[in-house]
Amino acid sequence: MPSDNLIELAVEVDTVSFNYNNLKALDELSLHVPRGISFGLLGPNGAGKTTLIRLLVGLLRPRSGSIRILGQTPSRKMAHLIGYMPQLHSLYAELSVTQNVEFFARIYGLSSKTQRAKQVEGAIRLVGMWSRRNDAVLKLSGGMKQRVSLACTIVHNPPLLFLDEPTVGLDPELRTTFWEYFSALTKQGVTLIISSHTMDDAAHCDSLAFIRDGKVIAKGTPNDLKQATGRPEATLEDAFLHFVRTWGKGE
Amino acid sequence: MMSSLAFTVAARVIRQLTRDRRTMALIFIVPLVVMTLIGLSFPETSVLDYIAPALLATLALFFGFLLTGISFLRERSQGTLERLMASPVSRLDIVVGYLCGFFIFALTQTLIILLFTIYVLKVNYYGDLWQIFVFQIIVIIGAVNLGIFISTFARNEFQMVQFIPLIILPQVFLCGVLWPIEQMPDYLQWISAVLPLTYAVDGLRDIMLSGQNLIHVGVELAVLVGFAVLISILAAVTLRRGT
Repeated sequence: MPSDNLIELAVEVDTVSFNYNNLKALDELSLHVPRGISFGLLGPNGAGKTTLIRLLVGLLRPRSGSIRILGQTPSRKMAHLIGYMPQLHSLYAELSVTQNVEFFARIYGLSSKTQRAKQVEGAIRLVGMWSRRNDAVLKLSGGMKQRVSLACTIVHNPPLLFLDEPTVGLDPELRTTFWEYFSALTKQGVTLIISSHTMDDAAHCDSLAFIRDGKVIAKGTPNDLKQATGRPEATLEDAFLHFVRTWGKGE
Repeated sequence: MMSSLAFTVAARVIRQLTRDRRTMALIFIVPLVVMTLIGLSFPETSVLDYIAPALLATLALFFGFLLTGISFLRERSQGTLERLMASPVSRLDIVVGYLCGFFIFALTQTLIILLFTIYVLKVNYYGDLWQIFVFQIIVIIGAVNLGIFISTFARNEFQMVQFIPLIILPQVFLCGVLWPIEQMPDYLQWISAVLPLTYAVDGLRDIMLSGQNLIHVGVELAVLVGFAVLISILAAVTLRRGT
């Protein structure tokens, strides 16, 4: 097995297919994501983004094809290297902010009390919830729960994060704040895989994959994708529609 | 030996339930109310003496199953189980952790029922109190694991509640709680032979009414331990990473 720092790719997905009974969710999808960037999985609802993320974190197994995360097959043994933020808040409503974050810190193996306390505080402060740290999660607003959910995801300082629609339901101000967190994390060398269906999120990513009907229809930086439309004034939404049309013709 | 991750899960379950004061109050009050009603509805002490062991076993199974089934289903529906399944914690750690966490509350309820039955309803019994309690612990472990296992097949609380008449009620009728198993048709007796409540009722009756000890009810105890182990393995196996 190659040593950790020699692995250049955070995510390697090769011709992966996945079906829910008769419904084809992913269709020979391939994707390579280098380390240390924010990578957006963009596509409409039902495109296969969540299925892909659930495969990447090991919650599902591909029917065919292969997946490697930081050079390894997704499994419980390497789960401490990743952080996963599901679409639902996925928090214990009766517990306080600190108790939730502390629980996931323990689950991810932070056994030293001092170190754990430091990282729990760091994660809660990063998401701006320190003043509400003793409040039960059930008393928090949707946006605050989203922030606590992110704190639970990053508390063990994983080098790779999978965030499934982390900005959905957030107001524009909080959405900007989230992207500031994400930017701070990539500056620390963390790789972020972020799913979204809004082009506003797409513009913040270092690189993107447009996903439709379980396939990657285009990949590149936001600028590359816009330029591919041949129109200088094109937005990412225009670019997405452009690729949907050209991909449809190619089929 | 309980792993540190299972311990962490158990501690979290206990902390979460104790922070929910209404649930805590219900955990303590409901068994008291139920037992008071039962006590008032049995004016004949001799009838209550005979039915008490079966009631203790049935209520331990019922409360253990209900508490765990609904609580564990919440873990699924609120997404916390999915987050756990993507973490380094193993399926066995999750099942053992939840078992230990819920066990404390199921045990509390059973203890309340047992003490109320003996000291308030003044039911006559012959066996040792500690042996009755140890026997009940085995019943509870099976009930708690049964709740975790059955919650796999429910998608919401409403569906989970539907499992109560399916899982608990037939056992009340088939396991000698209300009338002797021998009076039932053969095919129903065969069914009762594979239901855990049959052995729980038999064992507790032997201890409480005949004054036998745990060694005398070794067969019943072994069956109940086997059931608890089997159902916990099933619970762990059906706890897919993909929830």
